[in-house]
Amino acid sequence: MTYKPKEITEEVNISKIHPLTNLAQLLGTVVGVSLAIYIALGLAVDAIVPRIPIETEKAIGDSSIASAYLLLGGTPIENDPRISYLQELLNSLQDPEDKIPLTLHFLKSPIVNAAAIPGGHVLVTTAFLDEVKSENELAFVLAHELGHLRNRDGLRGLGRGLVLNLGWSLVFGTSGGGDSSVVGTVINLSSLNYSRSQESAADLSGLNAVIRRYGHGGHSLDLFKRLQDEETDLKVTEYFYSHPFSENRVKKLEKNADKNGWSMQGEKTALPQVFSQ
Amino acid sequence: MEDLIFILSPFFVIGFGYLIGAYFEKQHYESIRKRERQTLHLPVVNYGCKQPLPEAREARLVVGEVVISPDAFKTFVLALRNLVGGRVTVYETLLDRARRESLLRLKEEAIAWGATQVLNVRYETATIGNSSQQGVASLEVIVYGTAIR
Ligand SMILES: [Zn+2]
Repeated sequence: MTYKPKEITEEVNISKIHPLTNLAQLLGTVVGVSLAIYIALGLAVDAIVPRIPIETEKAIGDSSIASAYLLLGGTPIENDPRISYLQELLNSLQDPEDKIPLTLHFLKSPIVNAAAIPGGHVLVTTAFLDEVKSENELAFVLAHELGHLRNRDGLRGLGRGLVLNLGWSLVFGTSGGGDSSVVGTVINLSSLNYSRSQESAADLSGLNAVIRRYGHGGHSLDLFKRLQDEETDLKVTEYFYSHPFSENRVKKLEKNADKNGWSMQGEKTALPQVFSQ
Repeated sequence: MEDLIFILSPFFVIGFGYLIGAYFEKQHYESIRKRERQTLHLPVVNYGCKQPLPEAREARLVVGEVVISPDAFKTFVLALRNLVGGRVTVYETLLDRARRESLLRLKEEAIAWGATQVLNVRYETATIGNSSQQGVASLEVIVYGTAIR
């Protein structure tokens, strides 16, 4: 038998499918299925969140308060005359139906922001207080955060964030921030960024609380109106990073006040003496 | 904005991996096909234990080795495939290239030595550099046989 060299030209070992088609099919499957799971879990979160007992909410919130400090770039101040004032103002704005005890955290930080963390925690920074000119506008911001607490937006965000984080680590092998603290990363990614409809609901709930407290909504939106005029002011962008600002936010509130017969005119309540020091 | 860049950065790497990886693969296949034609004349034959071996004056061991690494695109597709299961078609070219390239190196070595035949060729594979997390393992193929002249 003699050896006759013969070239093999067909490629039986390589699938004919183009790599990009293959990727598209895979992505389609994976994205489709994860989207379905994400939506299903989102619905589950929405169904579960209103039923979470206050003790559980407090446990979740208390464990994430340290990462919230980090996020707002500050350390809590213990002895400051403004704390008791802020705490009292916060308590007076709480809806009588809400039972959760409120804790005010006053942070020394250059970042202008206020935030609410599950478990009745409300955080305010020193830089934020420097921007505030009257009690009415301060009350509105605090009441807005209370609105988030009331609607449990933080818990919702936490639930969805956990799902997102899990999916991310499944595909890429590490958690989003490359950090060991899953909860910390979750808070970082999502819990302080609420959807537009969540913001509107918190706005409305906030204005309602202000009306309950002062009998009118006058001057409560002054901060927003001022910021609208000087939107380029870099110092205040952090607040609107977590609270997307749109021009019709004020308009929407005024329209709602009109609908509910709330007066948007009234006397300005000054900030107490400790602020002018 | 920074968050967006952070989230999108793996996709830049994957896109880069695809473009560069596909280019190198095309080049490699062109080289493989050309050299396969050039080395076609050398018989590579396996003999069973009851078959008489051909006459030879000299014999020596010839070895061909190759290590091929997947690109970021292939690794990403593999990660997706790991979720749903099934054939990893993008890795087929990798294995195919490694197998053919290693045999080519063996045959080129044998031809340079002046071999008339290569007997009883065997393949071995291994993964090297299997770094625990990212799954960027390289594929190693070793092929060896007995060249005679
Ligand atoms: Zn808000």
